[in-house]
Amino acid sequence: MHKLLIKNELLGCIQCGRCSAGCPVSLRTALSPRKLIYKNLRESRKLPKSQDIWSCTTCRTCQQRCPKGVSVMDYIIGLRSYQVERGKIEPTMRDALESILKHGNPWGRPREKRTQWIDDETDVRILSEGEETDVLLYVGCTPAYDPEIQKSARALAKILNDADVDFAIIGNDESCCGNEVKRMGELGLFEMLVEENTALFKKYKFNTMITISPHCYNTFKNEYALDFEVLHYTQFLKKLLDEGKLQISASIDKKVVFHDPCFLGKQNDEYDAPRELLKYLLTDEDNLLEFGRNRERSLCCEGGGGRMWLEVESESPRNAEIRIDDAKSIGAEIVATSCPFCQLTLNDAVKTTKSEDKIRVVDICSLIAENKFEETEMEE
Amino acid sequence: MNSVVCIKRVPETAEATLKIAPDGKKLEEENLVFSLNDADNYALEQALLLQEEFDGDVTVISVGPPETDEIIRMALAKGATNAIRIHHDDISKLDASAVASLLAEQIKDLDYDVVFTGAFASDDAFSLVGTMLARKLEIPHITMAIEMKQDDEDEAEISRELEGGLIAKYRIKFPAVITVQTGMNEPRYASILGIKRASQKEVDVVDDPTIPENKVQLEKISYPPEGKKAEILSGTPEETSSRLAEILKQKGII
Repeated sequence: MHKLLIKNELLGCIQCGRCSAGCPVSLRTALSPRKLIYKNLRESRKLPKSQDIWSCTTCRTCQQRCPKGVSVMDYIIGLRSYQVERGKIEPTMRDALESILKHGNPWGRPREKRTQWIDDETDVRILSEGEETDVLLYVGCTPAYDPEIQKSARALAKILNDADVDFAIIGNDESCCGNEVKRMGELGLFEMLVEENTALFKKYKFNTMITISPHCYNTFKNEYALDFEVLHYTQFLKKLLDEGKLQISASIDKKVVFHDPCFLGKQNDEYDAPRELLKYLLTDEDNLLEFGRNRERSLCCEGGGGRMWLEVESESPRNAEIRIDDAKSIGAEIVATSCPFCQLTLNDAVKTTKSEDKIRVVDICSLIAENKFEETEMEE
Repeated sequence: MNSVVCIKRVPETAEATLKIAPDGKKLEEENLVFSLNDADNYALEQALLLQEEFDGDVTVISVGPPETDEIIRMALAKGATNAIRIHHDDISKLDASAVASLLAEQIKDLDYDVVFTGAFASDDAFSLVGTMLARKLEIPHITMAIEMKQDDEDEAEISRELEGGLIAKYRIKFPAVITVQTGMNEPRYASILGIKRASQKEVDVVDDPTIPENKVQLEKISYPPEGKKAEILSGTPEETSSRLAEILKQKGII
């Protein structure tokens, strides 16, 4: 019996199929967690070499719904790790992993350009070794390099400055958090990043770390042993609101629906902070709509688990396209989210479903910044 | 069947800001990330694919300082069986002929069927070492290979891409040198655990090789002269795309 089967409690599986029924990609790809486990237990106790495991977005729905406590997602990640060790992985994932090793980010961009998101109008302090700040803003790779998501980073910096938060960033020495690395099955590289990042954080003095991406938040909070508080930015801004340090006046009179990112919602039980922030922004609270599938049942956008670097072949529409269609059918005009990956996948879906004139996808911090600093360049 | 793969550690220059060192003969290395030369990565993969099919050894060989061991370990992690590093403090001071002589000196005594090199190194882009190496080993060679088909261990059918999209097919008897173009295969990934395990493997270091005389001397590296400026189109996607289409039409491209 392979240790991976024992470690993840596969023998407890009763083949009820709740994992496959809840799996957000089982309808559009060949991945069926139930079948995978069945084959592995009944037909061969050797690890399956199935390529279907790469469709998994590591949203964790399967693991959350399993009535027998089988660690379905962890099992799939474990299977991936054996394929990574053999080196036979999709070239796009290979390139992302090699880029993280070489440049500290999965996007193939040089380290020296990591702070180029900071424009002339953005005031951000970069920490030197030994320096102190109350809040460390961990920017993350996608907000640092992706032109669209850089807007979120700039918006958040403006909000923090306006609220007189003593914050700073690490700068070009900041490296990938490793959340996706672990989920792509590159466990050795993940361990290395944990070690290096933990040592890096020790060079500075701060009380709280905030992240823009729920993916970074997840791994720092749950998979590192850090001695400071880690918050997602929506949680931090909610706290500022409650303490009266951040003022948001209601100005949006459009219908808004919130798309729960898996790594904030399902994996970390934070459903309320983003919704609370949105309520402050809306002239009428009733304009905050809900998807039929929301909160812990939220439909994964397919951006997690390394899927940002892997397109799966399917005749069926992408989940993000389904999400945009759902948003249109409930009459939403804005899909708000709080995750760079969700923003990118949903934004693509707006284009592929030709919904540009009906739906706008936007990060909550950009919405807040627009609301507060309307006269500036914060545009759609 | 046994293969030898010549590999080189090169800086990644695609997106980096390049600065020429004060002596005008090399790049400033601070802030540069070094890795296995792209074409050599494909050469290595080809050797590993042959090894999977026909068994045998894959020996990687490189000229360079101790930092070169980074790419050697990566090659060992991918499955190379032996490794040789010919020590040299600063390979930017060697010309292609000198590198080929250093490599040939070691390779000539190995038991090999094929020597693979990348078609060119991304730093100096000479494309010469493979050809010169074949001459020094007195064996045939094929450059710029994009496909390799092999039924037995003694010979192979190699495709080369010519100008204008033509493909030339050759049969070549081993032993031979093949210089590999990027795209010939899909190089595998070297995991970090694999690289760590590979650091236990032995690298055979040739400490004090006789350095052959350079026949070509590098005089100076300079930045390219400023040419015509690029035009950046601004406006909505609709505006910029129609303007782009207009320009392409004007130039007779579409």
